[in-house]
Amino acid sequence: MPIVEQGYQHWSGRLSGHTWRWLTVARQGVRIQFRNRFLRYLLFAAWTPAFLLVCALSIWGLLERKSKAMSTIIAFLRFMNPHVIRQPQYYSSEIWILVYGYFMHVELMFSMILVLVVGPGLISQDLRVNALPLYFSRPLRRIDYFVGKWAVIGFFIGMVTILPTIVAYLFGALFSLNWTTVINGLPIALSAIAYGLVICICAGTLMLALSGLSRNLRYIALLWLGVWFISSVMSAVLAESHNGALRSEYFHKVSQHPVVRLANPNTGAVPVVQGPGYWRKAWRHFEVYQWRADHHDWRPLLSFTGDLSRVGDHLLGTNDAWKKLAALEPAQRQRIRLLIHFGGPWYPWYWSAAVLVGLWVISVGILRWSVRSLDRLK
Amino acid sequence: MDEQNDGLPIIELDGISKIFGSVTALDNLSIKIRPGATGLLGPNGSGKTTLIRTILGLIKPHSGRGKVFGLDIRTRQLDIRRQIGFAPEDDALFPGVHGIESVAYAGELCGMPHSEAMQRAHEVLDYVGLGEVRYRKVESYSSGMKQRLKLAAAIVHDPRLLIMDEPTNGMDPAGREHILKLANDLAANKGMSLIFSSHLLPDVEAVCRRILVLSGGKLLIEGDISELKKVHPSSFDLRLKESTATFAEHIRAAGCEVEFLGEILRVKIPAGQTRELLWRQAVVHGVQIRHLRPQQSTLEEVFLGAVEHA
Repeated sequence: MPIVEQGYQHWSGRLSGHTWRWLTVARQGVRIQFRNRFLRYLLFAAWTPAFLLVCALSIWGLLERKSKAMSTIIAFLRFMNPHVIRQPQYYSSEIWILVYGYFMHVELMFSMILVLVVGPGLISQDLRVNALPLYFSRPLRRIDYFVGKWAVIGFFIGMVTILPTIVAYLFGALFSLNWTTVINGLPIALSAIAYGLVICICAGTLMLALSGLSRNLRYIALLWLGVWFISSVMSAVLAESHNGALRSEYFHKVSQHPVVRLANPNTGAVPVVQGPGYWRKAWRHFEVYQWRADHHDWRPLLSFTGDLSRVGDHLLGTNDAWKKLAALEPAQRQRIRLLIHFGGPWYPWYWSAAVLVGLWVISVGILRWSVRSLDRLK
Repeated sequence: MDEQNDGLPIIELDGISKIFGSVTALDNLSIKIRPGATGLLGPNGSGKTTLIRTILGLIKPHSGRGKVFGLDIRTRQLDIRRQIGFAPEDDALFPGVHGIESVAYAGELCGMPHSEAMQRAHEVLDYVGLGEVRYRKVESYSSGMKQRLKLAAAIVHDPRLLIMDEPTNGMDPAGREHILKLANDLAANKGMSLIFSSHLLPDVEAVCRRILVLSGGKLLIEGDISELKKVHPSSFDLRLKESTATFAEHIRAAGCEVEFLGEILRVKIPAGQTRELLWRQAVVHGVQIRHLRPQQSTLEEVFLGAVEHA
């Protein structure tokens, strides 16, 4: 028993408006998540690529300035085309795009893990302990609740995608001390931010929908792993089996008709003549053939992360950047090989965008169905 | 309390109907609730919960109009909810937080700044008697503690109206007593209007001055409990020092109808007679009357009578 009984006192403060009410839900969610030690370690790990991104752009900035500090570092850049090293300012945009592209590729994986750690309990726990009447009997709309919960996921994804993007842009611009780089780098940084937002929106909404489906965290985590991991594996298996079929068909033809004219999409019809190096030439030719087929292959669409990645590549323009760098190669064969091995995927980006929009619409539908207001709740 | 009951209505509903599929939850319901404590009674499925949700602006009625604190229930739901504290019937918690965080979060959701919500949470947790367990995870609270936590979360922003839906359900006597005491204090001493929905009539009677009885979505009775519990001028409850059986025979012979209620005799005297008849009979037969008062309906009788007539 308290020594002094505290009676009820009236409160004379002012209640704020409704506009930012979702922020309260988001803040509370973030606060609770930060108590998870594993999440803190994960964030720390996810910032390692961000550190590398900042380093890469800063080094490129120094290279553009022909800084003396680069004399030792330049030895590590020999894998790059000498032309690019000699005139780094002409290829600044492409290098930024590719560095951001690689960074986002790694962070996409970290984002998926973060969503797995942060997301499952966001709605399912509220359903489990019947918290919805406490929310909706207060001046809070369903949309505020959803946006607040989504913002928790958005916050953590933003921490590892959008925030490092901005910091890296500032450092890259700072080290280059070149207005052209500052101006040219801005749209690239904005594209990376847009890509981060796409990940936030798609992954966040999908996880919220899954979180609303069950009160059991394990089921939701398994569903998420299914969406992320199994969809990627399925996509890869189907794509590989398709490639295998293409390969068999192609080499069957080649073995039956030793002297054939195989259509090369880039160079026109090139005769492949039987004789020394025949199979090597045929293999190279097949790679081009397969690359051509990849432009219309729907199988990568099955992968959720593949779809995010394709839209991100389009936003950043990584394929165009590779095309520009490939153009520096003296031989056409090398140009094509560079594109085959480093560029892609090549199928239309809007296919992936359509899949993501479809998933988003389904997720919103699930949320509307699973998280009901008190008009239907018992 | 009299002054409060004379105030302007805080809730006015006019011809409200709400239909869920084939079920009419509210049927052309018109009520006015004045400031003070009002008990909401009715059998299961009578429309109490739908009425509460309509007041909170969570349900759009199919027809009719309504205002809460002068605000239209169809268009100003959020503004209405700012002024109401609601303690729902079922177990409801914010997961993964301590008691203090839970109440502060409830305040923030109503629009309180974080620091003030936290300070206020401490105050109301002390008030409801949970000050000692404020840093415990809410999942570890007992049923009684959870009820008090819901009450603390409902009053953290100092609402003008508190709605308590079955607040004493499943509580032990001490916990129930505590909740009733708090509800009574808020309504009677702190100027907070209260809608107290419960199946337990003694609880309603302990807290409320007025009641609304619903059945089938319709209003059966509304009014002051003291007025509804009417006095019967020709019926008396009587207790004697001696055996009641013999005296019962004597007054039956004098034309009274007698009913045994344990040690008490409920006596209905013939038309044109007064209680003097009983005194006279006692003197004549040498019986000592220990207790004699006019029969008064209980709230249970009022409630059952209303529901039976419906």
